[in-house]
Amino acid sequence: MSNSWGVVRFIVRRVLLGVITLFIVSIIVFAATQALPSDPATAMLGRDATDASVAALSEKLGLDRPVITQYTDWLGGIVRGDPGESFNARQPILDYIGSRVVNSLFLLVLASVVSIPLSLVLGAVQARRRDSAFDQVSSFSMLGLASIPEFVVGVILVIMFSTRLWNWLPAVTQIGTDRPWQHMDQMILPTATLVLGAVPYISRVTRAALIEVLESDYVEMARLKGAPERTVLWRHAMPNSLGPVFQVIALNIAYFAGGVIVVEYLFNYPGIGGALQASVRVRDIPVIQFLVMVLAAVYVVTNLVADVATILVTPRLRTRVS
Amino acid sequence: MAQQRRPIWIPAHALSRRQLLVGGTATAAALALAACGSDETTSSSATTDGAATGTTGAATGTTAAAAGTPKQGGILRVGTLGGANDLIDGQQIVSKADIARIVAGWESLLNFDPDYNVVNTDALAEEVEAKAADLYVVRLKEGLLFHDGKPVTADDVIYSFNRMLDPDLAVFGGAALRPILESKGLSKIDERTVQIQLLQLVSNFKEALCAYTTCIVPAGYARFDGDPTTQIGTGPYKLQEFEVGVQSIHVRNENYWDAGKPYFDEVHIIDFADGDAMINALVADQIDCAGDIPSTAVDVLTGTDGYSVLNAAGGGWLTISMAVDQEPFTDVRVRQAMRLIVDRPAMVDEVLGGYGRIANDLYSPLDAVYLGDDLPQREQDIEAAKALLKEAGQENLEIDLFAPNDTAGLPEMVQAFSTMAAEAGITVNAVVLDGGTYWGDEYLKRTFAVDYWGTRNFLAQVAASSLPTAPYPDDHWPPADSTFIDDYNAALAEVDDAKRKVITDKMQTELYEEGGLIIPFFQNQLDGYHNRVQGLVERANTLNLDHYGRGYKNLYFSE
Repeated sequence: MSNSWGVVRFIVRRVLLGVITLFIVSIIVFAATQALPSDPATAMLGRDATDASVAALSEKLGLDRPVITQYTDWLGGIVRGDPGESFNARQPILDYIGSRVVNSLFLLVLASVVSIPLSLVLGAVQARRRDSAFDQVSSFSMLGLASIPEFVVGVILVIMFSTRLWNWLPAVTQIGTDRPWQHMDQMILPTATLVLGAVPYISRVTRAALIEVLESDYVEMARLKGAPERTVLWRHAMPNSLGPVFQVIALNIAYFAGGVIVVEYLFNYPGIGGALQASVRVRDIPVIQFLVMVLAAVYVVTNLVADVATILVTPRLRTRVS
Repeated sequence: MAQQRRPIWIPAHALSRRQLLVGGTATAAALALAACGSDETTSSSATTDGAATGTTGAATGTTAAAAGTPKQGGILRVGTLGGANDLIDGQQIVSKADIARIVAGWESLLNFDPDYNVVNTDALAEEVEAKAADLYVVRLKEGLLFHDGKPVTADDVIYSFNRMLDPDLAVFGGAALRPILESKGLSKIDERTVQIQLLQLVSNFKEALCAYTTCIVPAGYARFDGDPTTQIGTGPYKLQEFEVGVQSIHVRNENYWDAGKPYFDEVHIIDFADGDAMINALVADQIDCAGDIPSTAVDVLTGTDGYSVLNAAGGGWLTISMAVDQEPFTDVRVRQAMRLIVDRPAMVDEVLGGYGRIANDLYSPLDAVYLGDDLPQREQDIEAAKALLKEAGQENLEIDLFAPNDTAGLPEMVQAFSTMAAEAGITVNAVVLDGGTYWGDEYLKRTFAVDYWGTRNFLAQVAASSLPTAPYPDDHWPPADSTFIDDYNAALAEVDDAKRKVITDKMQTELYEEGGLIIPFFQNQLDGYHNRVQGLVERANTLNLDHYGRGYKNLYFSE
């Protein structure tokens, strides 16, 4: 009983830590975007900017307020789920790019859902048939894959499956105002690009962790008791290998959040990458701040989940936190 | 709205003067204001040697309309470069995507014909009569209807001009219009007739009415802000749906005045952030045509069955600008040396991938008064440049040359210039800045920088970039002791073509000999399309895709 209370306390502590992290990130993001060269009012008015019109627009955008007030108003809005209005589109941010955030998150989830089981199975098979031809060939090719930047992987996939070798799949996404899950055929190549970028890492860590566990005494004992190798692997060894695997999965999901931007560009996918790039170009500060906070939140949340999951699957750590 | 950068795809047209002369089409007077160009000019093939030896006259359209009635129906999918800052406004553009959309929905009062005469073809005015050089009467065609079925009236014309004159809206045509027209100069004669009294003599005012952003919108019109049904114009297609930065869907305008057109049921205009993704979409048959493709894609498309490239001469140019009021460029010898440093054919190859033709430090190549082909072609002459620099005491000059990273060609151009300058023994540091920084507060204030332009007529370009009052004074022209401003005003008031040409010749000669701009080349416009798309003609043009098939109404699918 005290054990589970310990875990709850640990989770609460980690959540608080995550909130503090996001708070610090918010200060940095706010300060950094404020420090961008050329102020938004001048940038928006362009060459027609007179002192009077800049002043008028600054007032309209609230840029004439003290920086601290601007920050607290903005943070308050974020906390309330109202990140404010885009300078450029003059629309509430959530209306303006809400669907893009959803699109990017969908791509991220899709890539995770495909890559994680795939990596675990691959790593397990490699560990079980350690040093076999399969292990060596697949490990070597995964290593090769890991060394290719994802945009190159994406370009190769497009050349192979869309434009040159076979015309099987769409080269770019064209979902218009639909939702991406209504066009799953268009999701294949973007997802595959991300998956191919992540599988080498996760499978490699899975393989290494499993090999270590498979050599441990208790697994030997399980084998001696006559448990079939499949049971030994999945029931006894895998649960105890998941700690490090969760950590690398979290790293990869965080990496997806960045990789999504490259992949969006390549496949013309209407996600946050394009919105972020465009908003930086026109100094649409509220949008930049919101998107960076979304990315930061993805990092913090995935790491939080990974930490908690690691604790839950690792009895040693469970005992320690309690 | 809200772009820190001016829109640049000002209509351009691209015949060299020699081509115009050879083709016998040098008819148009070059006048101020006309920020618009003909897109119906005779065809010309791009020459990379700058000798302007393109074939003339013959329309060599690769898919010129074959005999027979064009097929009706289908959905045309157009790829364009755009993004989250796209807008739809019947009188304003900031990006290529906006141009691709404005031509579908809105039309101007007048147009240029293939010989660069002002005509009413594809336009809304029956005629525009010049009662005097400062008094014009616009009479609308009969039976014109807006997308919502309402007739186009004098009130709409007056509203459209007032909207352009509104400094707060700052729409594209306004900057050129505001100095010469006030709201009280507009008066309604009858339901179809409007009189325009200008503030000064502007004998070429009709050319201003040809610009593709000088469009007629219905009274009360406002920019797209979420409701597509508000986007009413007279164009061949009306807006049905617009997802900013993603795509727009335009449906056939059943009320369209040009009988039989347009042919497609729908036109979808799809945004791409990146030219390579757009080419992939084209080759994978996800779009039918792509406007403004990278030169590297030309070989890809010509090597793929079923696809073609539209390689149209354009009059757009990139410039290196020397501020004539700042050291060391106050000394004309330094400016002349810099111009002699440039290896123009090499620039065309390195910056444009060969898709352009060399220029002679003068702008407006399509204008009948363009002098660049009559003056000696400036060529690289390192020794002469060194001598001039030495004379000016600048043989060890070290200077920064700034460029933005967001405009194709500009970083490459400053790098190339830097290398060429080293041959002359001076140090030019190519400084490539983030676009937001480059076009920010320091834009147009730097001593040595770059810019990019579409083409417009000579006097209009002077008003845009070569006067102290110009919105974009790239090189801070003219110097204090120049008569350039007086010449400009004299030309603007001169109604006699021959007399005006004497003045513009003098102005161009001064720019050629002493100016602060290095104009190494004029660019071609490259587009890609699937061969099922019919009606695209390869000819000198102001806008991509043969002026987007003039709002897509000239295009149709093959059987």
